[in-house]
Amino acid sequence: MNLLDKLQILADSAKYDVSCSSSGSSRSNRPGGVGNASLPGICHSWSDDGRCISLLKILFTNVCIYDCKYCVNRSSNDIRRASFTPDELCELTIQFYRRNYIEGLFLSSAVIRSPDYTMELLIKTLKKLRHEYRFNGYIHVKSIPGADMRLVYEAGLLADRMSVNIELPSASGLKLLAPQKDPTAILEPMDFIRERIQESRELVLYKKTPSFVPAGQTTQLIVGATRDSDLKILHLSEHLYRRYRLKRVYYSAYVPVNDDENLPSVHTGPPLLREHRIYQADWLLRFYGFRAHELLDEGHPNFDTYLDPKCDWALRHLDQFPVEINKAPLEMLMRVPGIGYRMAAKIVRARRVGPLTFEDLRRMRVVLKRARYFITCNGRYYGGVELDAGLLYPLLADKADRKVMAGQISLFG
Amino acid sequence: MIYVTDGTFEGILTAVFEAYKNKEEPEAITLGSVYQLALGMAVREIATDMAKSGRVWRGVQSKISEKTLEELYRAYLSEHPQVGLFIYRYIKLGLKLGRKVEGYLQHPDVQAVHDLSRRVANEAHLFLGILRFRKLKNGIFYACYEPDNNITQLIAGHFAGRLSDQAWIIHDRKRDIMALYNGEEVVFATGLPPFAGEVCDEEYETLWKKYFSAIAIESRKNPKLQRSFMPVKYWKNIIEKQL
Repeated sequence: MNLLDKLQILADSAKYDVSCSSSGSSRSNRPGGVGNASLPGICHSWSDDGRCISLLKILFTNVCIYDCKYCVNRSSNDIRRASFTPDELCELTIQFYRRNYIEGLFLSSAVIRSPDYTMELLIKTLKKLRHEYRFNGYIHVKSIPGADMRLVYEAGLLADRMSVNIELPSASGLKLLAPQKDPTAILEPMDFIRERIQESRELVLYKKTPSFVPAGQTTQLIVGATRDSDLKILHLSEHLYRRYRLKRVYYSAYVPVNDDENLPSVHTGPPLLREHRIYQADWLLRFYGFRAHELLDEGHPNFDTYLDPKCDWALRHLDQFPVEINKAPLEMLMRVPGIGYRMAAKIVRARRVGPLTFEDLRRMRVVLKRARYFITCNGRYYGGVELDAGLLYPLLADKADRKVMAGQISLFG
Repeated sequence: MIYVTDGTFEGILTAVFEAYKNKEEPEAITLGSVYQLALGMAVREIATDMAKSGRVWRGVQSKISEKTLEELYRAYLSEHPQVGLFIYRYIKLGLKLGRKVEGYLQHPDVQAVHDLSRRVANEAHLFLGILRFRKLKNGIFYACYEPDNNITQLIAGHFAGRLSDQAWIIHDRKRDIMALYNGEEVVFATGLPPFAGEVCDEEYETLWKKYFSAIAIESRKNPKLQRSFMPVKYWKNIIEKQL
């Protein structure tokens, strides 16, 4: 099989993994080396589905011993199979990098023979890439569930970022759709990686130690393959951020690829709108000081797909509004629908120089479409309607699917 | 009064110096000698003077901040017809307010500089990603592009650090500016012949295009979103988007 065919097959098999970012690592080049890592990350292209391409996202092989029902590479599927050699992958990465097509490599794999055997192949490739090809750019490597911790550690010394995919948000879902996988095989390496990262940061203060996964670890959850609610997913994410110190949780709207009685039909589309709302909520958890229980609860377990989660929250907490733009603390400004955390910080800086009028906000490019209903400027309200959830709902709801398809916000995070 | 400069950053700073010295409020500061003369408006020719511009330069550094100086320079690279005036007014306000001026976004002059500077920085960041090098017959990697802003000097350093063991050329075809790197240092030049005719890079370009099409998920197709990140105006130099 030629390289072009392999690339086609193994990129095609990797595309359902959504993580792509190349942020969080800063490393300068070495004499005679190729590449460096840029802290904010760099997107190099955007594919026809609008998702950013930063890393060469590819599987080492799509030959798999597992038969997970949701996965396109399941062993019982009749698809073309291929494997790279370490040299082929290294050469491809370096040559793409030299042309500025990519920021680095995102190496994942189906499980060939055994988790340990697969992990060893990945390590062999990364070692070659780092040492023989002197590649100094970004590497994200997937930790294969079930692999020995010694191998996980070895891979982590070569990579900038590691991820263990949880895939299904509940143990029951995992049992139903991936009966060969053990939930502890996912959480154990996650915990292990967290400890090693912490250790390596502490040691770095005293002496020069090899850095371990400097850009942190991430994971991915599939949305819509199981019956789990948004509440369940968001609580899990919050737990992952707090307990495991994850840098990111990625959400992937399930694209039905297999026919199975326990899965949505292959004739249904991916729940993109739901994925979008969960991403917005994830942002609120990470940057806006929200807790999962504020956004959703048992009586309200799923997001209203017509409202963004911040509007949804604000409409249920109208007693806290309107807020005075010239007085409200930063934390409260960030809770105003339509005001992002960067804009909130700008407002705080600007009002130190002088009080802000509604016109000033407009000039500062504050998006007032939604914010106007929730703020006052020097005591004046510009919303034009009473602060009443029933009246505000139709003004805030997305009218068409236009915006909704926007999908994952691809900042450089 | 219209101040006519040679269009360099130092020229604009000299104009700022002269405006202070003459106690004048210029109505325009031109970028070069081509400009539109409004009826009945007087013109003052500004001869770029390194000592004078240096004083303004250091004044901004010490009385406002290094960051502001960088922001003004980035705004200058936008080549916006009014940028000279925006820079002048920003400096004037900054010398009064000091550092605080940076956050004074409700002021139209501050916002104007801030907007331009951000536009330039955003385009420069975008091109760190979407610039495409093509291997020439002689082994040199050649990238041409047509950015809205004059960003070649902003991005050249990044590639010198990253692709430090290969010779490359970045060519702004719109402005006829080239950054040439020989493995040791970057040199800027203009007026050199274009190299695009000698590209010999089919193998990897084919592989890259194949990868590009394989990685998209058909059922999530969203050309509008794609265009919002990667505007169509840049496509002709992005090999995976060329037809």
